[in-house]
Amino acid sequence: MNITIENANNITIAKLAGRLDTPASSEVTPIFEQLQNSADGTVVLDCTNLAYISSSGLRLFLTLRKAASAKGGKVILRSISNDIRQVFMMTGFLNLFEIE
Amino acid sequence: MKTKEITEKKMMGKSTRAGLLVVIVAIITLEATSLIQYYYSQRGIKQEASLRAQSELRSAENEIMGIVDQAEGAVRNSLWVAEWCLDNPDSLVRVPQRVVENNPVVVGSTIALVPGYSKKHPLYAPYATRNSETGEIQTLSLATDDYDYPSQEWFTKPLELHGGYWSEPYYDEGGGNMLMTTFSMPVMDRNGKVAAILTADISLQWLTELMGSIEVYPNAFSTVVSRNGQIMVCPVESLVMNKNVLQFAAESSDSDALSSINEAMLSGQEGEMEVRYKGEENRIYFAPVERTGWSLSIVVPEKEMFAGVRKVGRLVTILQLLGVVMIVIILRVIAKNQMKYKKLATQKELIQNELRIGHEIQMSMIPKTFPAFPERTDLDFAATLIPAKEVGGDLYDFYIRDEKLFFCIGDVSGKGVPAALVMSVTQSLFRAISAHETNPSKIVISMNNSMSENNESNMFITFFCGILDLTTGLLRYCNAGHNPPMLNTEKLPVLPNFPLGVMPGMVFQEQETRLEYDDTLFLYTDGLTEAENASAEQFGEERMEAFLGTKRNAQALLDTMQEAVDCFVSDAPQSDDLTVLVIHYMAHPATEQQERHLILHNDIQQIPQLAEFVETIAEEKQLDQSLAMSLNLALEEAVTNVILYAYPKGADGLVDVEAILKPHSLEFIITDSGVPFDPTAVPEADVTLSADERPIGGLGIYLVNKLMDELHYQRIDDKNVLSMKKNI
Repeated sequence: MNITIENANNITIAKLAGRLDTPASSEVTPIFEQLQNSADGTVVLDCTNLAYISSSGLRLFLTLRKAASAKGGKVILRSISNDIRQVFMMTGFLNLFEIE
Repeated sequence: MKTKEITEKKMMGKSTRAGLLVVIVAIITLEATSLIQYYYSQRGIKQEASLRAQSELRSAENEIMGIVDQAEGAVRNSLWVAEWCLDNPDSLVRVPQRVVENNPVVVGSTIALVPGYSKKHPLYAPYATRNSETGEIQTLSLATDDYDYPSQEWFTKPLELHGGYWSEPYYDEGGGNMLMTTFSMPVMDRNGKVAAILTADISLQWLTELMGSIEVYPNAFSTVVSRNGQIMVCPVESLVMNKNVLQFAAESSDSDALSSINEAMLSGQEGEMEVRYKGEENRIYFAPVERTGWSLSIVVPEKEMFAGVRKVGRLVTILQLLGVVMIVIILRVIAKNQMKYKKLATQKELIQNELRIGHEIQMSMIPKTFPAFPERTDLDFAATLIPAKEVGGDLYDFYIRDEKLFFCIGDVSGKGVPAALVMSVTQSLFRAISAHETNPSKIVISMNNSMSENNESNMFITFFCGILDLTTGLLRYCNAGHNPPMLNTEKLPVLPNFPLGVMPGMVFQEQETRLEYDDTLFLYTDGLTEAENASAEQFGEERMEAFLGTKRNAQALLDTMQEAVDCFVSDAPQSDDLTVLVIHYMAHPATEQQERHLILHNDIQQIPQLAEFVETIAEEKQLDQSLAMSLNLALEEAVTNVILYAYPKGADGLVDVEAILKPHSLEFIITDSGVPFDPTAVPEADVTLSADERPIGGLGIYLVNKLMDELHYQRIDDKNVLSMKKNI
């Protein structure tokens, strides 16, 4: 799991690549905590290269989303694959995020 | 239809005309016969009556003549005494006395001198008579002032005739007050001069009796009339000596007829005549009595004479009428029956037509294109259904869905139309229910429930339903009272169960077996084993079994069996519907399952190993990426759950993951020896909540549930056993 973060014009773009499974989630938890700091603005999670996500990954997404709503920011999901979209749909997450 | 009606009318007309002809001929023949018979009987009766009457008349005449002769004899034989006594007229009194004395038939006698013959006795007529009570002979004199004997008929006529004369009958007023007649003869003296008249009176009392004794017919009667027509004997008392027949005829309305008979009788003829009197025909037989001038007659009413023959005639007529009526009735019945048979034949034809259509509909309901699956190399299938009547209660069905052969065979109790209706319902139900059900017992239970409700006709169906997995050869089946199918040459073990339609809510148990390459399943209805030949023998299971296994090819086996049954039954009518299904399995069943095994420690870092394990299986089963990901996700969630929560913190534990790869499903069994935890009991996460309301956790189990088809938890031997199944 690899995450690269870019900041530009008060928009934070996090590019997720690889499998966001349980061990990976615990691994990237600090990065997501860091992203919460930018949650007063717009956080874009670029999922173009996200191959897999488990419930632990979903928890990270949800935690970030909650922080954004607390701080008045927003979380945008960009380019999620069909398979992952299925998981989001199944869990009702599609309604919680802005999807680009 | 129009032409049929016209022909029917024509037929009716023809048969009516023929019937009429028969009746007319019968009437003519019968009438002619009876007329001839009547005519000859009448003639015979007439002849017979005539003979009898003539003979009666003759015998009566003879009797009368006997008495007449006696009376005449008494007079004639006394003439010489009278002549002799003329010389001494006073002695003449002895003559009548002698006549009466010597002749019992003579009731009185007189000798009356011709006036002036004797100077001494200018008028002299001593009269001797027999006292009817004492029998003594009394003598009176007729020469009294108030009885002028020389002017009496008995006196004048013999003088006139110079011979014997019988007087007209008369009532004797002085004597016995009875009907009398007198024979008188002149007595000559020696000079040949008429000196006196000698008489003999006879009573006619006996004449009435004599004539009354003539009995030709019950209502016939006889009469005697004198030469002047005076009625002497007649059944009507008041007419006797009061009426002259001429006078009677003149007064009667039938005077013409009576005059002619009177004329014939009074002229002394003998014979017979027909006389119409008071509207009735009478036959009168008559004959004269010599010397007296009387005429005897017997009157027979024709009605009487022909009473017997007329009675017979009436009887014959009644019988003839009855006969004719019977003929008419019989003809009508025959004609009606003919019409009825014609109508029945027409109706039968109509029913036959409808049954033929019914047959076509029924046959169209069952699949009957063979070979059924020409493209398949793993299945060889043949089936036949031959109804005993046009329509029947047997059924079968089969089709392939998802590499599974669904098939059934059934036999509705009874035959013909009612059975056919139930059959079509059964067939439709099987199609409808099996379309979304892969469990034979559920299909049968569902069908039974449908068929038992409103089963008012109480018809039931023996039914066998099977589902053959063509890939694995697994045969799951459920029997409902049907005879066990044959697997190769052995009976397939089946639970009998009840037939369908007996009672709703019944449970039908499912069974299973595995078919091997080249196995043949032979299903049949009892129309096969119970097929009867002319001597009521049944084809039987033994004969059937003898033919099983003789042919490998399904159609060939079916043909052989059918030929055997046909040959056995021969000309006997088919007694029951006959259905046979042959399933010849020709696949090498795929190895049913492969197993993979993975043991993990309760360390989250082991998850990638699990992912790899699942990936390998997915590749092996050539699953698409999205299915592979779903499996991966479900496994990860389930295993993570165990790793994180099953064992106490820091304690080492194992997670056992077993994968069972089946042709159409994947099963994963996750076992751990941690604290008891049933993930299936966890309340389902609410995925409709807003971001703020959503709890952070709880999605793992939710995802497992959503991603897998089946999820079962069991606690076995202090272990949590979670099995998950995904159909592929």
